[in-house]
Amino acid sequence: MSYLIDEGKNVQHLLMGNEAIVRGALEAGINVAAGYPGTPSSEIIESFSKVAKERNLYVEWSTNEKVATEVAAAASFAGLRSLCVMKQNGVNVASDFLLHLASSGTRGGMLLVSCDDPGALSSVNEGESRLFAKLLEIPLLEPGDFQEAKDIIPWAFDLSERIRNIVMIRSVTRLSHASGNVRFGPLPGTAAHASFTYSGPLLDPDTGPVISMILAAPELQHGPQQEKLKKAAEIFETCPFNTYTGPEAPELLIITSSACSLYSREAVSILGLEERVGILKLATTWPLPQRLLKRHLAAAPKILFVEEVAPTLEDHVKVVAAEAGAEIGVKTFFGKKSGHLPSVGELNPDLVLAALSRICALPYESAPAAFSGAVKALAAQYAPPRGMTFCPGCPHRASYWSIHNALQLDGRNGFVCGDIGCYVMGTLPAGFSTAKTLHAMGSGSGIASGFGKLKQFGMDQPVLSVCGDSTFFHAAMPALTNAIHQRSPFTMVLLDNRGTAMTGFQPHPGSLTNVLGDTVPALDMEKICRAMGAKVEVSDPFDLEKTRQKLNHLVEYAEGAKVLILRQACALSPERRGKKKYEVTVDESRCRGEDCGCNRICTRIFGCPGLIWDREKKVSHVDEIICAGCGVCADICPAGAIIRKEIA
Amino acid sequence: MKHFGANKLDDGVIQAELCIGCGACVDLCPYFRSYRGKTAYLFPCTREEGRCFAYCPKVEVDPDALSRFLFAKPYNGDPLGAWRSIHIARAGARVKRQPFQSGGTVSTLMYFALRSRRIQGAILTGREGLLPVPKLVTRSAEVWRHGLSKYAAAPTLAAMNRAVAAGYEDLGVVATPCQATAVAQMRMNPLQNPSFRDPTALVIGLFCTWALDFRKFEAFLAERVPLRDIVKVDIPPPPASVLEVYLPEGKRTFPLDEIRPLVPNTCGYCLDMTSEFADISVGVLEGRPDLNTLIVRTERGEEIVREAGRQEYLVMEDMPAENREHLEWAAGNKKQRGVRCCTEAGRLNGEAGTACLRLNGEVIERILKNEKNGKESSCHI
Ligand SMILES: Cc1cc2nc3c(=O)[nH]c(=O)nc-3n(C[C@H](O)[C@H](O)[C@H](O)COP(=O)(O)OP(=O)(O)OC[C@H]3O[C@@H](n4cnc5c(N)ncnc54)[C@H](O)[C@@H]3O)c2cc1C
Ligand code: SF4
Ligand code: SF4
Ligand code: SF4
Ligand code: SF4
Repeated sequence: MSYLIDEGKNVQHLLMGNEAIVRGALEAGINVAAGYPGTPSSEIIESFSKVAKERNLYVEWSTNEKVATEVAAAASFAGLRSLCVMKQNGVNVASDFLLHLASSGTRGGMLLVSCDDPGALSSVNEGESRLFAKLLEIPLLEPGDFQEAKDIIPWAFDLSERIRNIVMIRSVTRLSHASGNVRFGPLPGTAAHASFTYSGPLLDPDTGPVISMILAAPELQHGPQQEKLKKAAEIFETCPFNTYTGPEAPELLIITSSACSLYSREAVSILGLEERVGILKLATTWPLPQRLLKRHLAAAPKILFVEEVAPTLEDHVKVVAAEAGAEIGVKTFFGKKSGHLPSVGELNPDLVLAALSRICALPYESAPAAFSGAVKALAAQYAPPRGMTFCPGCPHRASYWSIHNALQLDGRNGFVCGDIGCYVMGTLPAGFSTAKTLHAMGSGSGIASGFGKLKQFGMDQPVLSVCGDSTFFHAAMPALTNAIHQRSPFTMVLLDNRGTAMTGFQPHPGSLTNVLGDTVPALDMEKICRAMGAKVEVSDPFDLEKTRQKLNHLVEYAEGAKVLILRQACALSPERRGKKKYEVTVDESRCRGEDCGCNRICTRIFGCPGLIWDREKKVSHVDEIICAGCGVCADICPAGAIIRKEIA
Repeated sequence: MKHFGANKLDDGVIQAELCIGCGACVDLCPYFRSYRGKTAYLFPCTREEGRCFAYCPKVEVDPDALSRFLFAKPYNGDPLGAWRSIHIARAGARVKRQPFQSGGTVSTLMYFALRSRRIQGAILTGREGLLPVPKLVTRSAEVWRHGLSKYAAAPTLAAMNRAVAAGYEDLGVVATPCQATAVAQMRMNPLQNPSFRDPTALVIGLFCTWALDFRKFEAFLAERVPLRDIVKVDIPPPPASVLEVYLPEGKRTFPLDEIRPLVPNTCGYCLDMTSEFADISVGVLEGRPDLNTLIVRTERGEEIVREAGRQEYLVMEDMPAENREHLEWAAGNKKQRGVRCCTEAGRLNGEAGTACLRLNGEVIERILKNEKNGKESSCHI
């Protein structure tokens, strides 16, 4: 039995922030959870799936975030408690539906959980999802620590049901992925009954159809939606998760939320400023509790905002301060706009320390220069600088090798429109810098479809897109549909590594089993593309020459959209992990090393981490521990020095 | 002479659109490949010196060094280069009628060289569709299948590099003048490899005024004739001024003015019409497209031509002075054009690593002052 459903009285468990959110939802009696994988959010759906049977849950990895939100909304409309979860970029995908949902309202409690990634530790950008709450006119909660991450969820479900609208929860990487002790509360029973009532009057929130349509009378629908927000603001005035620590009349008031509240506490304590600086930690960051804020603003002459990415709190609180100017007097504000804290990347206690010491005129050197220098030197000694690269045995390296070579041979300055997955590294030397555009999920193929139509303006460069199997279903199908219909001559390379590899092998619509382990119909991408009308070829990316030939052939074939499916499981997939197909070694006597005739193409260009260059002997080696046994390097060695022996 | 590496070759030749796609740099290593008539540089090689650069006939060519190496005499800019004898030739009685471009001298000599084991293999240029495909031929009967000129520039020397890597020695090669220059540079062991051995036993050079860019040529013909059905392509000697495409149902002709735009710029930089650095050079005899002009340049060339004649593989007669003068006039014209073109582009004796050619002032003057030739001012073909 999973510790997540431990029913012991007052037990504590060490939980990841994401697990704390799950436990909170279980204590709230959640019934349905849907999401699309994306770091740092993925553990939430996975954790739900582990207890789905015991807790009578329906859990799914949906095709994309918009669908996940729609699936969760259906549960809410049928009176159940539900949640949809995604990373920050996913909110963009779901936002179209979300705007309608916020307008139609919900029935059973429904939460939107967004796990943001300040610093873009595992994202292509550090987009800020909090601004959506304002745009969508829905309440936003930001838990500040692990216990709160659990406790705030049942509270949020209650709020959602009280105002009959979706409530947004925002976590960040350092909360979602760090762990802390969480004291458990009781779990409710698992009985639930779903039924969708629609027989009441058109605009009756409880019994009518659930529709989002202004019907030429905004006051009938938009008006009530804003009332809900006002009600939430009122509830927020007494929200137990908004806390203040510090003197009654501090010199400086820190206003903060989320993981930044931990950094703030640490910085204040290191500088011994507990008597001078107060910390107002807000959990309810949209709409803001005005009276609460005014009280605290009135008590301090200087205000410092500690938050990550966009100056969201900063902007919103300043509006409150301006409106209350007559009551609270003139304040001096510090934060991103004053330049005391950066507006890009993650924060940390050190950055807060530096800001505090500047404002409070305290001499503080975050780390002496000599010390940081010594640390860097030591680090360099033990950890040589390394570029990001694909895993040993990764099919993407082989795929990009062939794509790169095909385009170079073609010689017309062709390029790849990149997409989201491990294969974003196609923009880097790891992928031979083959990908030249990179945007949102599915955008590579959409952009390629557009490039393909520029022939009329003299553009004759071949255009390719890459797209993972999960991305294909997520958002690339409409792009391919477009390209086929518009006869855009580009080549979509479908990197089918059999799973949503980047985020940890979540199943997708092409998988044979779902997150609950049930056997489900797998959609066949090859058949789909053919049926859509594309010219389709399939190849094993480990067969470099055949793949390259097929690519060149497709690229030269001028008519319409073409698809090359490169099928090879991810090196870390359950079917390949720890199982070597070949034993790979280098015959030193044949190795040409740096001589004219090779110049170490294996270690210098191909760059599989399993290959190492012996500086002393001037030959390459295979590191048998790291080598995944794919044997591809044997085909790139011009001297036949890399020997692969099939392992029986 | 200073040699450079692949990055310089890429900058100075490939990116500068001076590459003719001869294949000399191809398949020596994983970095240069030929595809549909174009040489591609796949990945940057960081070596300071490489065979790729040293072999390339389009950069840092030193005709004087080549002439001294092959003929033990300085390069003086004579229109036909160094030669021992000049003949009119064609395949002899021992050879069955084959599809030859003209007199069949080239195929016959390669056939004879293979049969008599003077060479282990012949590097010839066949075709797939319109695409010239180089090949190592080791069975003498297979030589005939590679006859006929492919007017698109071909990566012939890629096949030679592969054959050398596979351990073949004493190779025969049929080369255009640029390819013959590259082969001569290969034979000089430019990087002083201690285990080097001259890979060739016979180099037959073809005459060449220019070649065609394969991709442009294919696109041009694809719109006009069924590519699959092409039997032979010919550019009969002047004054015809046409390109002929033989199809099963007959012949189509295209005025050379329509064809010249398909010639790569790099041919304008070329000074050599008669493959001056080959053992033997062969062209079409003006006015008699069924006969070849044959120039013998080296001792080993002389030996095989003599034997082929004696054994009735080849029929030869002396070339009338009038024909020779006309040949010299044509070859002299090409030299002048090449010198002017290289000079205009700053690539005659230019910056180290990007100059096409190194010639001393005296030779340049001799070429430009050749009174027989007209005063063409531009380097356009
Ligand atoms: C691009 C090109 C331009 C030419 N221009 C002229 C010219 O201006 N004046 C002139 O007198 N002669 C020219 N020739 C030579 C001429 O066309 C004949 O090749 C030559 O006369 C030999 O005739 P043959 O009957 O002995 O050839 P064949 O016995 O038919 O043998 C032809 C040989 O040429 C080789 N070959 C064919 N195409 C190529 C190629 N693209 N690159 C390298 N080798 C090839 C084949 O391997 C074959 O061995 C040119 C040839 C080529 C390929
Ligand atoms: S590719 Fe082959 S020859 Fe070149 S360094 Fe690696 S093992 Fe040696
Ligand atoms: S220097 Fe040698 S190894 Fe490098 S590209 Fe040239 S031929 Fe290849
Ligand atoms: S050697 Fe030949 S193929 Fe290579 S760059 Fe020079 S001209 Fe081009
Ligand atoms: S003209 Fe010169 S460069 Fe052009 S194909 Fe003929 S020999 Fe080569």
